[in-house]
Amino acid sequence: MTDRPALADRRETPTVYAPAADSALLAGAAVNQVGTDDVVFEVGVGSGWVANRVAAETGARVAGDDLTLEACAKAASRGVEVVCANLLDPVADAAVDVVLCNPPYLPTPPEAEWDDPMEAALSGGPEGRRVVDPFLDDVGRVLAPGGHALLLVSTLTGLDEVRAHAATNGLIAEIVREEQFPYERLVVFDLALE
Amino acid sequence: MKKSLLDILRDPLDKAELDLEVDERDGDEIVEGRLIGTETGEVYPIEDGIPNLLPPDMRDE
Repeated sequence: MTDRPALADRRETPTVYAPAADSALLAGAAVNQVGTDDVVFEVGVGSGWVANRVAAETGARVAGDDLTLEACAKAASRGVEVVCANLLDPVADAAVDVVLCNPPYLPTPPEAEWDDPMEAALSGGPEGRRVVDPFLDDVGRVLAPGGHALLLVSTLTGLDEVRAHAATNGLIAEIVREEQFPYERLVVFDLALE
Repeated sequence: MKKSLLDILRDPLDKAELDLEVDERDGDEIVEGRLIGTETGEVYPIEDGIPNLLPPDMRDE
Protein backbone atom coordinates (compact mmCIF):
# COMPACT_ATOMS: atom_id res chain seq x y z
CA MET A 1 0.00 0.00 0.00
CA THR A 2 1.00 3.61 -0.49
CA ASP A 3 0.59 6.57 1.82
CA ARG A 4 -2.27 7.98 -0.25
CA PRO A 5 -5.57 8.36 1.61
CA ALA A 6 -7.89 5.47 0.89
CA LEU A 7 -10.19 6.43 -1.97
CA ALA A 8 -13.08 5.25 0.16
CA ASP A 9 -12.32 7.95 2.72
CA ARG A 10 -12.70 10.72 0.19
CA ARG A 11 -16.15 9.93 -1.14
CA GLU A 12 -19.50 10.94 0.19
CA THR A 13 -20.93 7.46 -0.27
CA PRO A 14 -17.67 5.84 0.52
CA THR A 15 -17.77 2.21 -0.50
CA VAL A 16 -20.81 1.56 -2.69
CA TYR A 17 -21.01 2.59 -6.34
CA ALA A 18 -23.56 5.39 -6.70
CA PRO A 19 -25.81 5.57 -9.78
CA ALA A 20 -24.22 7.40 -12.72
CA ALA A 21 -24.72 7.85 -16.48
CA ASP A 22 -23.96 4.18 -17.11
CA SER A 23 -26.66 3.14 -14.61
CA ALA A 24 -29.24 5.23 -16.43
CA LEU A 25 -28.23 3.80 -19.80
CA LEU A 26 -28.54 0.22 -18.55
CA ALA A 27 -31.85 0.88 -16.79
CA GLY A 28 -33.25 2.51 -19.93
CA ALA A 29 -32.34 -0.52 -22.04
CA ALA A 30 -33.77 -2.88 -19.45
CA VAL A 31 -37.08 -1.07 -19.00
CA ASN A 32 -37.51 -1.33 -22.76
CA GLN A 33 -37.05 -5.11 -22.85
CA VAL A 34 -38.28 -6.54 -19.57
CA GLY A 35 -41.83 -7.88 -19.40
CA THR A 36 -44.06 -8.02 -16.32
CA ASP A 37 -43.73 -11.80 -16.00
CA ASP A 38 -39.95 -11.90 -16.44
CA VAL A 39 -37.52 -12.98 -13.77
CA VAL A 40 -34.64 -10.49 -13.79
CA PHE A 41 -31.30 -10.88 -12.00
CA GLU A 42 -28.77 -8.07 -11.77
CA VAL A 43 -25.13 -9.00 -11.20
CA GLY A 44 -23.51 -6.38 -8.99
CA VAL A 45 -26.50 -4.33 -7.86
CA GLY A 46 -24.39 -1.69 -6.09
CA SER A 47 -26.80 0.80 -4.54
CA GLY A 48 -29.78 -1.00 -6.11
CA TRP A 49 -30.82 1.97 -8.22
CA VAL A 50 -31.05 0.09 -11.54
CA ALA A 51 -32.80 -2.96 -10.09
CA ASN A 52 -35.28 -0.79 -8.24
CA ARG A 53 -36.07 1.28 -11.31
CA VAL A 54 -36.56 -1.77 -13.53
CA ALA A 55 -38.85 -3.38 -10.94
CA ALA A 56 -40.86 -0.19 -10.50
CA GLU A 57 -41.30 0.50 -14.21
CA THR A 58 -41.93 -3.04 -15.47
CA GLY A 59 -43.55 -4.87 -12.56
CA ALA A 60 -41.06 -7.72 -13.08
CA ARG A 61 -39.44 -9.57 -10.21
CA VAL A 62 -35.90 -8.19 -9.99
CA ALA A 63 -33.34 -9.84 -7.73
CA GLY A 64 -29.61 -9.33 -7.66
CA ASP A 65 -26.33 -9.81 -5.91
CA ASP A 66 -23.23 -7.90 -4.93
CA LEU A 67 -19.81 -8.82 -3.57
CA THR A 68 -20.04 -6.53 -0.57
CA LEU A 69 -22.53 -6.78 2.27
CA GLU A 70 -22.58 -2.99 2.43
CA ALA A 71 -23.87 -2.69 -1.15
CA CYS A 72 -26.36 -5.50 -0.46
CA ALA A 73 -27.71 -3.66 2.58
CA LYS A 74 -28.10 -0.49 0.56
CA ALA A 75 -29.88 -2.28 -2.30
CA ALA A 76 -32.11 -4.10 0.20
CA SER A 77 -33.09 -0.77 1.71
CA ARG A 78 -34.34 0.19 -1.78
CA GLY A 79 -36.52 -2.91 -1.76
CA VAL A 80 -34.32 -5.04 -4.03
CA GLU A 81 -34.20 -8.78 -3.26
CA VAL A 82 -30.49 -9.22 -2.85
CA VAL A 83 -27.91 -11.84 -1.94
CA CYS A 84 -24.23 -11.41 -1.25
CA ALA A 85 -22.44 -13.43 -3.93
CA ASN A 86 -19.93 -13.42 -6.76
CA LEU A 87 -21.19 -12.95 -10.34
CA LEU A 88 -23.71 -15.67 -11.27
CA ASP A 89 -22.32 -18.27 -8.86
CA PRO A 90 -25.54 -18.67 -6.79
CA VAL A 91 -27.98 -18.64 -9.74
CA ALA A 92 -29.76 -21.79 -10.94
CA ASP A 93 -29.46 -23.04 -14.53
CA ALA A 94 -32.01 -21.64 -17.01
CA ALA A 95 -33.74 -19.65 -14.25
CA VAL A 96 -33.51 -16.06 -15.48
CA ASP A 97 -35.27 -14.29 -18.36
CA VAL A 98 -33.15 -11.14 -18.30
CA VAL A 99 -29.71 -10.76 -16.69
CA LEU A 100 -28.45 -7.21 -16.11
CA CYS A 101 -24.83 -6.29 -15.47
CA ASN A 102 -22.99 -2.97 -15.16
CA PRO A 103 -19.58 -4.42 -14.32
CA PRO A 104 -16.32 -2.68 -13.49
CA TYR A 105 -15.20 -2.16 -17.09
CA LEU A 106 -12.41 0.43 -17.04
CA PRO A 107 -8.90 -0.72 -17.84
CA THR A 108 -6.60 0.11 -14.94
CA PRO A 109 -2.86 -0.49 -14.78
CA PRO A 110 -1.99 -2.55 -11.66
CA GLU A 111 0.09 0.29 -10.18
CA ALA A 112 -2.94 2.61 -10.33
CA GLU A 113 -5.30 0.26 -8.51
CA TRP A 114 -6.56 1.15 -5.07
CA ASP A 115 -7.19 -1.71 -2.74
CA ASP A 116 -10.70 -0.82 -1.58
CA PRO A 117 -14.33 -1.63 -2.41
CA MET A 118 -14.80 1.33 -4.78
CA GLU A 119 -11.78 0.19 -6.75
CA ALA A 120 -13.41 -3.20 -7.13
CA ALA A 121 -16.58 -1.47 -8.31
CA LEU A 122 -14.79 0.51 -11.03
CA SER A 123 -11.65 -1.23 -12.21
CA GLY A 124 -11.80 -4.03 -14.74
CA GLY A 125 -8.13 -4.88 -14.42
CA PRO A 126 -5.38 -4.16 -17.00
CA GLU A 127 -7.65 -4.74 -20.00
CA GLY A 128 -10.98 -3.80 -18.41
CA ARG A 129 -12.33 -7.33 -18.80
CA ARG A 130 -11.42 -8.95 -15.46
CA VAL A 131 -15.11 -9.22 -14.58
CA VAL A 132 -16.65 -9.04 -18.06
CA ASP A 133 -14.98 -12.24 -19.31
CA PRO A 134 -16.00 -14.51 -16.38
CA PHE A 135 -19.51 -13.05 -16.65
CA LEU A 136 -19.65 -13.98 -20.35
CA ASP A 137 -18.33 -17.47 -19.55
CA ASP A 138 -21.25 -18.23 -17.21
CA VAL A 139 -24.23 -16.15 -18.33
CA GLY A 140 -25.53 -18.57 -20.98
CA ARG A 141 -25.99 -21.20 -18.26
CA VAL A 142 -28.54 -19.19 -16.28
CA LEU A 143 -30.64 -17.95 -19.21
CA ALA A 144 -34.13 -19.40 -19.54
CA PRO A 145 -35.18 -20.37 -23.08
CA GLY A 146 -35.44 -17.15 -25.10
CA GLY A 147 -33.67 -15.27 -22.32
CA HIS A 148 -31.05 -12.61 -22.78
CA ALA A 149 -28.55 -10.49 -20.92
CA LEU A 150 -27.88 -6.76 -21.02
CA LEU A 151 -24.23 -5.91 -20.37
CA LEU A 152 -22.87 -2.39 -20.15
CA VAL A 153 -19.30 -1.76 -21.31
CA SER A 154 -17.21 1.10 -22.67
CA THR A 155 -15.24 1.45 -25.89
CA LEU A 156 -12.28 1.49 -23.46
CA THR A 157 -13.19 -2.10 -22.54
CA GLY A 158 -12.80 -3.12 -26.21
CA LEU A 159 -16.09 -3.78 -28.00
CA ASP A 160 -14.58 -6.24 -30.49
CA GLU A 161 -12.93 -8.19 -27.68
CA VAL A 162 -16.19 -8.37 -25.73
CA ARG A 163 -18.04 -9.51 -28.84
CA ALA A 164 -15.38 -12.14 -29.58
CA HIS A 165 -15.43 -13.50 -26.02
CA ALA A 166 -19.22 -13.65 -26.14
CA ALA A 167 -19.01 -15.62 -29.40
CA THR A 168 -16.68 -18.21 -27.84
CA ASN A 169 -19.51 -18.85 -25.37
CA GLY A 170 -22.15 -19.20 -28.09
CA LEU A 171 -23.60 -15.75 -27.44
CA ILE A 172 -24.60 -13.25 -30.10
CA ALA A 173 -23.91 -9.67 -28.99
CA GLU A 174 -25.92 -6.81 -30.42
CA ILE A 175 -25.68 -3.17 -29.39
CA VAL A 176 -29.05 -1.87 -28.18
CA ARG A 177 -28.07 1.43 -26.54
CA GLU A 178 -25.09 3.73 -26.73
CA GLU A 179 -24.05 7.13 -25.47
CA GLN A 180 -20.99 9.19 -26.32
CA PHE A 181 -18.87 10.77 -23.60
CA PRO A 182 -15.67 12.82 -23.95
CA TYR A 183 -13.23 9.91 -23.77
CA GLU A 184 -15.40 6.89 -24.38
CA ARG A 185 -18.67 5.60 -25.73
CA LEU A 186 -20.81 3.55 -23.36
CA VAL A 187 -22.61 0.64 -24.93
CA VAL A 188 -25.30 -1.79 -23.79
CA PHE A 189 -24.89 -5.19 -25.43
CA ASP A 190 -27.86 -7.51 -25.70
CA LEU A 191 -26.54 -11.06 -25.42
CA ALA A 192 -28.55 -14.10 -26.48
CA LEU A 193 -27.63 -17.72 -27.07
CA GLU A 194 -27.26 -18.61 -30.75
CA MET B 1 -34.98 -12.71 1.62
CA LYS B 2 -38.26 -14.31 0.65
CA LYS B 3 -38.55 -18.08 0.47
CA SER B 4 -39.58 -17.85 -3.18
CA LEU B 5 -36.09 -16.58 -4.03
CA LEU B 6 -34.97 -20.20 -3.61
CA ASP B 7 -36.52 -20.81 -7.05
CA ILE B 8 -33.46 -19.21 -8.60
CA LEU B 9 -30.78 -19.72 -5.92
CA ARG B 10 -28.39 -22.66 -5.79
CA ASP B 11 -25.30 -23.67 -3.84
CA PRO B 12 -22.52 -21.62 -5.49
CA LEU B 13 -20.10 -24.52 -5.04
CA ASP B 14 -21.96 -27.21 -7.02
CA LYS B 15 -25.31 -25.68 -8.15
CA ALA B 16 -27.25 -28.16 -6.00
CA GLU B 17 -30.43 -26.99 -4.27
CA LEU B 18 -30.33 -25.25 -0.92
CA ASP B 19 -32.23 -26.11 2.26
CA LEU B 20 -33.61 -23.21 4.30
CA GLU B 21 -33.55 -22.99 8.09
CA VAL B 22 -35.36 -19.99 9.59
CA ASP B 23 -34.57 -18.44 12.98
CA GLU B 24 -36.54 -15.22 12.59
CA ARG B 25 -39.25 -14.01 10.23
CA ASP B 26 -40.96 -10.70 9.60
CA GLY B 27 -44.09 -11.50 7.57
CA ASP B 28 -42.83 -13.37 4.49
CA GLU B 29 -39.33 -11.92 4.91
CA ILE B 30 -36.74 -14.27 6.39
CA VAL B 31 -34.59 -12.07 8.59
CA GLU B 32 -32.25 -14.54 10.27
CA GLY B 33 -31.40 -18.13 9.41
CA ARG B 34 -29.25 -20.07 7.02
CA LEU B 35 -29.13 -21.77 3.65
CA ILE B 36 -27.47 -25.17 3.55
CA GLY B 37 -26.13 -26.91 0.46
CA THR B 38 -28.02 -30.18 0.05
CA GLU B 39 -24.91 -31.89 -1.33
CA THR B 40 -21.97 -29.96 0.14
CA GLY B 41 -23.49 -29.33 3.57
CA GLU B 42 -21.97 -25.84 3.38
CA VAL B 43 -23.79 -23.37 5.64
CA TYR B 44 -24.55 -19.90 4.24
CA PRO B 45 -25.80 -17.46 6.88
CA ILE B 46 -28.82 -15.17 6.43
CA GLU B 47 -28.30 -12.00 8.47
CA ASP B 48 -30.52 -8.90 8.43
CA GLY B 49 -32.46 -10.50 5.59
CA ILE B 50 -29.43 -10.92 3.33
CA PRO B 51 -28.10 -14.40 2.50
CA ASN B 52 -24.34 -14.58 2.23
CA LEU B 53 -23.71 -16.98 -0.66
CA LEU B 54 -20.06 -16.16 -1.07
CA PRO B 55 -17.99 -19.33 -1.04
CA PRO B 56 -16.17 -19.80 2.29
CA ASP B 57 -12.82 -18.54 0.91
CA MET B 58 -14.34 -15.21 -0.23
CA ARG B 59 -16.20 -14.33 2.96
CA ASP B 60 -15.09 -11.57 5.31
CA GLU B 61 -14.69 -13.13 8.71
